[in-house]
Amino acid sequence: MFLKSRGTIPHWPLHLFILMMVVITVYPILFVFTVAFSGQQNLSFVDLPPDPTRLDRVRALVPWPENVTLSNFVQLFSEQPFARWLLNSVIVSAATTLVGVFLACTAAYAFSRFKFPGQRAGLMSFLVSQMFPGTLTLIPLYIIIVQWMGLGSNYLGLVLVYSTTAIPFCVWMLKGYFDTIPRELEESALMDGASTPTIFFRIILPLAKPAVAVTALFSFMTAWNEFVLALVFLDQEEMYTAPVGLRFFVGGYAENQWGYFSAGSIVAALPVVFLFMFLQKYLISGLTAGAVKG
Amino acid sequence: MSHEKNISLAQLAAGVVLGLAFGLLLISRLAAAGDEAAGEAAASQSAVVTLSAAADLVAAAQAADEDVQETVRRFADGHDDVISIRVVDVKKRSLLASTLDADGAPVRLQRKSEEHKVWYDLGKSLQAADKANRDEGRLWKELILTERLDDGTLSLSAPLLDGAETSQVIGVVLLNARAEAPSLGTARPSPWLFLLLGTLLALAVAWPLRNKRYPAAAAAGTVAALVLAFFTFATLNALGADRLAIEEAVAERLAADAGRTGTGALDSSTWDVDPFRQPRSIIATDGTIDADAVDASFASTRSRFRNVFSVLSLLGLVLFSFVGLGGAGRTVQTIRENREAYTFIAPAMAGMLFLVFFPFFFGLTLSFTDQTLYNVNEPFYERWVGFDNYVKILTDFNIFESAEAGGGVNYENFYWTLFFTICWTVVNVFIGVTLGMALALALNTKDLAFRPIYRVILILPWAVPNYITALIWKGMFHQQFGSVNQILQILGMEPIAWFDNTLTSFCAVVTTNGWLSFPFMMVVALGGLQSIPADLYEAARIDGANRWQQFTNVTIPALKPVMVPAIILSVVWTFNMFNIIYLVSGGEPGHATEILVTQAFKLFYEQYQYGYAAAYATVIFGILLIYGTWQNRVTKANEGV
Repeated sequence: MFLKSRGTIPHWPLHLFILMMVVITVYPILFVFTVAFSGQQNLSFVDLPPDPTRLDRVRALVPWPENVTLSNFVQLFSEQPFARWLLNSVIVSAATTLVGVFLACTAAYAFSRFKFPGQRAGLMSFLVSQMFPGTLTLIPLYIIIVQWMGLGSNYLGLVLVYSTTAIPFCVWMLKGYFDTIPRELEESALMDGASTPTIFFRIILPLAKPAVAVTALFSFMTAWNEFVLALVFLDQEEMYTAPVGLRFFVGGYAENQWGYFSAGSIVAALPVVFLFMFLQKYLISGLTAGAVKG
Repeated sequence: MSHEKNISLAQLAAGVVLGLAFGLLLISRLAAAGDEAAGEAAASQSAVVTLSAAADLVAAAQAADEDVQETVRRFADGHDDVISIRVVDVKKRSLLASTLDADGAPVRLQRKSEEHKVWYDLGKSLQAADKANRDEGRLWKELILTERLDDGTLSLSAPLLDGAETSQVIGVVLLNARAEAPSLGTARPSPWLFLLLGTLLALAVAWPLRNKRYPAAAAAGTVAALVLAFFTFATLNALGADRLAIEEAVAERLAADAGRTGTGALDSSTWDVDPFRQPRSIIATDGTIDADAVDASFASTRSRFRNVFSVLSLLGLVLFSFVGLGGAGRTVQTIRENREAYTFIAPAMAGMLFLVFFPFFFGLTLSFTDQTLYNVNEPFYERWVGFDNYVKILTDFNIFESAEAGGGVNYENFYWTLFFTICWTVVNVFIGVTLGMALALALNTKDLAFRPIYRVILILPWAVPNYITALIWKGMFHQQFGSVNQILQILGMEPIAWFDNTLTSFCAVVTTNGWLSFPFMMVVALGGLQSIPADLYEAARIDGANRWQQFTNVTIPALKPVMVPAIILSVVWTFNMFNIIYLVSGGEPGHATEILVTQAFKLFYEQYQYGYAAAYATVIFGILLIYGTWQNRVTKANEGV
């Protein structure tokens, strides 16, 4: 250890630095788990005595609850409408995924395989639309969806908006993948007398399964995590999605219920955290590729 | 090509017919709707006259100690359209009179009766409205309420006055009447006649020019435009004449009611009033109508109709040139030739048009109006304010409050928010890049133990949904129970109220955002580092470069192509990082830590200023656009080198 060759540095400072960052990274997460399993609604893990010593305070920092109990989770589903909110989120996200992927696949296929007037303009318009700021379209969308169509507290309103806003990214991603599928496959199918829809559904889509899956998961995640539009559109408590519901627990309108919030956050975040870990390499390549092109 | 020179007369005819039909029929339809609304207004104004007469009569009868019930019955007898008149005294809590036997008037109001309760509440609210108007010295609460019931009859209510000099509101007079719109004498021009004659005329003019494509189209187009203009003119005239007819009907009613009350002592000129009980000054006491006043009251409606009609005419002409010059034909052919491609595109494109592009342009349009939650029912042209919103946002340089107000920074000023947003973006991107690069360099060390585990843990903040991250950190910064303050207290410091001070509030949001944004930079940098071939370092070492020289001459240039796009992306993300600001600091203290997007959102969501918020958002879009073009130019220039 002491006789390091020239040009290498000792590893322990690196470990120290990384471990410090690991603690900073992990602490808020452990914090949420502790509050969730503490069975209490407030933020402190232990009851501090009126005049706490330093040791008491250190104990209060250690993310481990005095009593480990599942009561927050049980009550979250039995006494709070969280099950309903979760169901709303599942319905909205699943429908968004279905609609969004269908729209994106068909459009991407046309952009990839046909030559037609307006092709370039169409693709560019999708790209440009990504620059529209959310706050600018939010106001008209509220007027259109809530005031004109009356779809305020309705699954359809959110599904329509989520699936269309996800289209451009999905189309660009899928088009890139479709372009890599050799045309010979389709040409031979054409020879055999297959129609375009048959080719699309029977040949292209099965071949593009990985890309379609990634697109679908991406759409699902975006819809699952969306907060602002849901906050604006939904005015009935029973139609809340999970993000709006979680905010409701600690929104400051009533007594903050950190216990329910933490338990709910774990339930709502776990699936997407796993999805993200699985998807990250596709996302990163997609994002950086898009940035370089744009 | 030869066919480009000649014009297809069939096509031209189709264009003229479609363009004219579109314009004429829609104008005519709108005019009919306008007439209908005017008829409705006439019916309810006639009812207002009768109601005011009845209220006046009752007040006079009370003052003279006559039998109110008898007076009301006598008055109602002469009216065919009156279903019922009821007089309710709120002070005495009694129904003084009613033309319906079933009511059994006069009778005391019963608490249990739903109907009585409604009347009583109505009387009370009119009393309150009258008091509010007097107290504030302005007319803002309506005193005569008109409602169309489900069965098509009109239900009106007016205050019952006590007949003394001060004329206090002591109750309510209710009138239920069949609404009979007076017949409007003036015939509007027939769109079908104009369509037939206009088409024939246009084709007749175009016929001699049939060998010249554009002159023929221009001639036919001019004729179509003239026909539309003349039709618009004639329709507007007819609408104006109808207004006069309506006033005549009201005047007739006024004269009839004046005769029916019989006392002669009552002033019938006070009966033709607006909802605030102010005289409309259109019909004189002797029944003559002030034509100028009618015209003036119609002026704004007329100009609205004229604008709408002009737009419709223009659209008709656009339709004419599109069809007449063959654009429509070519479009149809293109669509037919590429049927399959367009079928595949259509669903996505329809969604994008309806829910992305249309809202965008709608938002731009909104930014030129003063629309709020409360005036959505007003016609669009009345909400138009031009560039007012932009001027208000961009020319307000009162960044500092006046000395009386404390002399601090005016946190709601646009330029403060812009300054804060820039600070927020720069600091966050700097922290993200520094931390991310440092971690990436550390993790890229050869043979470092636990590397995969570190990587998975350090990427977690990116995976957690950011609204959850924000709310967790909001809890961690809690003044009493938050972990951050516990640490401060262990270190012997006082706990901090993080969101009471601009600087500490800024620290809190930056910490939160730093926590969630470094993994992205780390992953990108790590990817870049791993793609650097080891022999580059080898070569550098052979050339005698030390560690630092290797870093600046090999690592940094190799990282640049991946880091620059990531930084560009991260600037835009941070600039638009709504959730962190909105959920962690919420703009506290007093909007000081608001960034542009949260400020625009609050203008919309909390202050309901749709038009102003849209202008604010458009300004944000402009800033991003400028940033985008600048960034594009810079990267292009760099690539050139």
